[in-house]
Amino acid sequence: MKVEGEHLFKAPREVVYEMFNDPDALGAAVPGMQKMIKLDESHYEAVLGIRVGPVSANFSGNLSLTDEVPPESVTLVIEGKGGAGFVKGVGYVKFEDLGDETTLLKYTGEANIGGTLASVGQRMIDSVAKSMFKTVFEKLDKILEERWQKN
Amino acid sequence: MTGKYFGNPIKRLEDKQLLTGNAKYIDDIEVPGQLHAAFLRSDFAHARILKIDVSEALKRPGVVAVYTAEDFGDFWKPGPLQVPPPTAIPGSKFNARTLVPIAKDKIRYSGEVLAVVIAESRYIAEDAFDDIIVDVESLPAVVDLEKAWEDSSVLVHDDLPSNMAALVTQEVGNYEEAKKKADVVVARRMLIEHVAGAAMENRGFLASWDDQNQVMTIWANTQSPLTVRGSVSRALGLAESQVHVITPAIGGGFGPKVMTSLTDDVLLPWISKQLKRPIKWVEDRRENFLATTSERDQVHHCEIALKKDGTILGFKDVFYHNTGAYDSYGMTVPLNTQTHIISNYRVPNFYTQIRMVFTNQMVVTPVRGAGRSEGVFAMERMLDFAAKEMGLSPIEIRRKNLLRADELPLATGITGQDFVKNTLDSGDYLGNFEKCLQAIEYDKFIKETQPKAQKEGKRLGIGVVAFTEGTAVGPYEGCKVTVSTSGKVTMTTGYSSQGQAHYTVFAQIIADQLNVKVEDVKVITGDTNHFAWGAGTFASRGATLVGTAALLASQKVRAKIFSTASKALGVPEDQVELGEGSVSIKGKPDSAIPLGTLAAMANPMRGVIEPGVEPGLEATAYYGPPHGSTGCGAMGVILSIDEETCKPVLEKMVIVDDCGTMINPLIVDGQLQGGISMGIGNTLYERLVYDENGQLLTASFMDYLMPLATDMPKKLEIIHNHAESSLKLNPLGIKGVGEAGAIPPGPAIVQAIEDAFADKGVEILETNLSPSSIYGYLKKVEHK
Amino acid sequence: MKKLFPITVTVNGKVYERQVEARLLLSDFLRHDLGLLGTHVGCEHGICGACTILFDGEAVRSCLIFAVQANGHEIRTVESLGTPENLHPLQQSFTDKHALQCGFCTPGFLMTLVPFLEENPTPTEDEIREAIDGNICRCTGYEKIVEAVHDAAEKMSQKK
Repeated sequence: MKVEGEHLFKAPREVVYEMFNDPDALGAAVPGMQKMIKLDESHYEAVLGIRVGPVSANFSGNLSLTDEVPPESVTLVIEGKGGAGFVKGVGYVKFEDLGDETTLLKYTGEANIGGTLASVGQRMIDSVAKSMFKTVFEKLDKILEERWQKN
Repeated sequence: MTGKYFGNPIKRLEDKQLLTGNAKYIDDIEVPGQLHAAFLRSDFAHARILKIDVSEALKRPGVVAVYTAEDFGDFWKPGPLQVPPPTAIPGSKFNARTLVPIAKDKIRYSGEVLAVVIAESRYIAEDAFDDIIVDVESLPAVVDLEKAWEDSSVLVHDDLPSNMAALVTQEVGNYEEAKKKADVVVARRMLIEHVAGAAMENRGFLASWDDQNQVMTIWANTQSPLTVRGSVSRALGLAESQVHVITPAIGGGFGPKVMTSLTDDVLLPWISKQLKRPIKWVEDRRENFLATTSERDQVHHCEIALKKDGTILGFKDVFYHNTGAYDSYGMTVPLNTQTHIISNYRVPNFYTQIRMVFTNQMVVTPVRGAGRSEGVFAMERMLDFAAKEMGLSPIEIRRKNLLRADELPLATGITGQDFVKNTLDSGDYLGNFEKCLQAIEYDKFIKETQPKAQKEGKRLGIGVVAFTEGTAVGPYEGCKVTVSTSGKVTMTTGYSSQGQAHYTVFAQIIADQLNVKVEDVKVITGDTNHFAWGAGTFASRGATLVGTAALLASQKVRAKIFSTASKALGVPEDQVELGEGSVSIKGKPDSAIPLGTLAAMANPMRGVIEPGVEPGLEATAYYGPPHGSTGCGAMGVILSIDEETCKPVLEKMVIVDDCGTMINPLIVDGQLQGGISMGIGNTLYERLVYDENGQLLTASFMDYLMPLATDMPKKLEIIHNHAESSLKLNPLGIKGVGEAGAIPPGPAIVQAIEDAFADKGVEILETNLSPSSIYGYLKKVEHK
Repeated sequence: MKKLFPITVTVNGKVYERQVEARLLLSDFLRHDLGLLGTHVGCEHGICGACTILFDGEAVRSCLIFAVQANGHEIRTVESLGTPENLHPLQQSFTDKHALQCGFCTPGFLMTLVPFLEENPTPTEDEIREAIDGNICRCTGYEKIVEAVHDAAEKMSQKK
């Protein structure tokens, strides 16, 4: 499955980038996130509950940040597995400074999904992924609003 | 041949139990003390197993045992070749890599079993999956057939130099020479997609070891109970007499239930013996999609060489056949394809090559149609393409090349699934086709109906194709017929039953021979303690092989009735009359002895029976044909299709079929209608989709669409074109009908869809057409 | 241990009181707890219709309902229709017209059709096909099922 999209954040690039390195922010933004622990600067451990149509299950896995070029770009590598299958994905995230204290996030990526999630849920995965991205960005917007306004 | 019962539409004797919920299927069988098995299956299609940790699962209350491949020790070994490849074809290559009961070291398809959990309930057994930690190193999956064939491909079996499972070339005449002489040569690449058998009842298996008597009793919804008995006794080192396989009521077969050497029939008996407890496993629907064998999935590279007038000079078909991760079932399916490509037409030069390839997908074994559909699809489509290229009508090109009744029997020279050179025994192939054209009113459709619809802005299309159905292959089947002292008759056979009306049609044959009421004949199928010889239920062979054996056995019993009665009545045999349920001296009804009494006399409790005489009114008979038979027919379809939605609606369908003599026309029609619905489903709705990682994306009826009542043709006409069977292969003149209906819908429907869009020049090169794929074809020609 | 819930369910006129797990499917409850094996399970996800039963008179899929949800309700299964000696008219038409082969899906068809024919005693062919569009049969191609329903409708309305 390929994913692609963009989102406009109303904050300077450094602030947005910093937020993406904050497990508390990410953990709060991702729906169904039950646990997110920072192992070191670029590795996280997470437990995520996912519901795709008739399939709902917990996935536990790792999130790594590689090829970090602060505050321009980062590559996310995700590996998770659970009772309903597995997800492996790579996401390439770019932060474009638009100059007016706004940042355009662009992402492309590919996810490899297996097990029950694929064999029973594939029809719904695209739309679930889309709605998940939408929720994440909405929540991040709120978090950002709070943080940016505080500063 | 017509009797009191034979040839008549007798109502089924088995229905009442089925209709009232009294029939027992595999999941209805409960043995005291039984435990439940659940199989943890791989999420990955191709991976190396690093570690499977089951220690937490063992701690869960209610879990009795958990096994991985390691726990089976030396008992773990690859299964036998259930069907060996034919050795008769010179130069053929076959790499046997047979199914393993549970993955060890390497996972080769998504759904392969990694662990067996035994628990007090199925719910608990499945709960324990969450406790098992599976660590694997995933590998790139082999999915695309043509890429898999290349030397550069990732390997499914590391010890082989390539993914080649088999390479078989057969040729009659010389295609390349014929091509040189041809006026027209047309070449195309076509896809025949992957579909499931999808019986409404999933598979199931119950193994119960009796430690006191040292007997393994097995209930299994298998099409081949004797193969199960053989493999269990071999695997456990038991005598066959120590293994008793019983088939309960079975909720449909359609091919996949013939498969053995799977996890259930290998491991569960072993586990039952270890734990000394009965173990039951019933598959769920997702498991059925993932791990029960399926079929089709071929890529054909065809060439047809013709004279200007449309006469076929030669045909070439090199096709890739997906065997999945293992090839235990040999080459039945692609050999069926090879025999069926040319089995309707005069093809003097034919070159065909099977490229059977291993992939990271579930194993392919026969599903109703079983390679025949693919062969017929390839030929029928090529004729359509050639006709278009040459400006001929699809009807003209078929008329020119279809075999006529006086050309049969005809040896095609191609070796088939029974390892014997194929002979087309009888039938009027051209006559079937002409009858079909009349019934579908072809001329009227072309001249009036279609143009009229066109003026009204409606798109109608017509398709008419011919087909054959290779049936009734050997080696043999048998049965035993016994008259009881009650006068009731029992027939036992090793053949198992999945809804084909065996309990009625075999009884019809016997009832006529013994002059008893049909409801007084009890048929027992698929119980190895009752009858211990036979091959299995497949290839439309029940009516022919078991039916003929029933005839032969009941004829022997009939002879015994006359000889016993002659002695009892004190008259010569020609003075004995066999009335309904009794024997008497001709013209002296008072002398009547009930058949039951005669049966008691044939088995005296005191006195002597003459040397050489077997006691009882009982006989056993076997029947095996010299080669398979070939049913034949034609199908016409008229459909309408909306250009916006691309949803085809089947307005009318006609099938002309020659299945030889019919024991019961009601049952024959049911077989044809069921087969046709499967053919329609295969063409317009069903499709097993694997993604590039070998993940099956259609493992539920939400994504694997089954044909429904509203998807059937508005009118379906069945024409039997076999008033007098010309088949001399067997005494009853039966060919077989189980798969006929499933074969022609594909090419007929596709031809009709092309016809509906004839003005746009749409050319369809695959089966399994969803509205969106038809829409895709339309867009493709519009962009040209 | 898992928590058990007491339920009281009337099945085919008989009242059953049982303790069940919350997750127990009604289909499994009927089959394995009550031993009413005529209700068959074909897909466990509500598509095939083999497990259709009457829930307070309405045809529903018993694999999509938990046993606890049936608490206080009235259920009818195929066992409530006829017996082998005395078939329900619809069952009689099914055998007369050869509307079943393997028989696995048949109880689901019957339980779908019983309320349908009560509501619509003289259905057209299209209406019959619509009515059974949620039940899958792999054997018959539905032709003879449609014939059987016509036949049953005719006979049942004559009786009235």
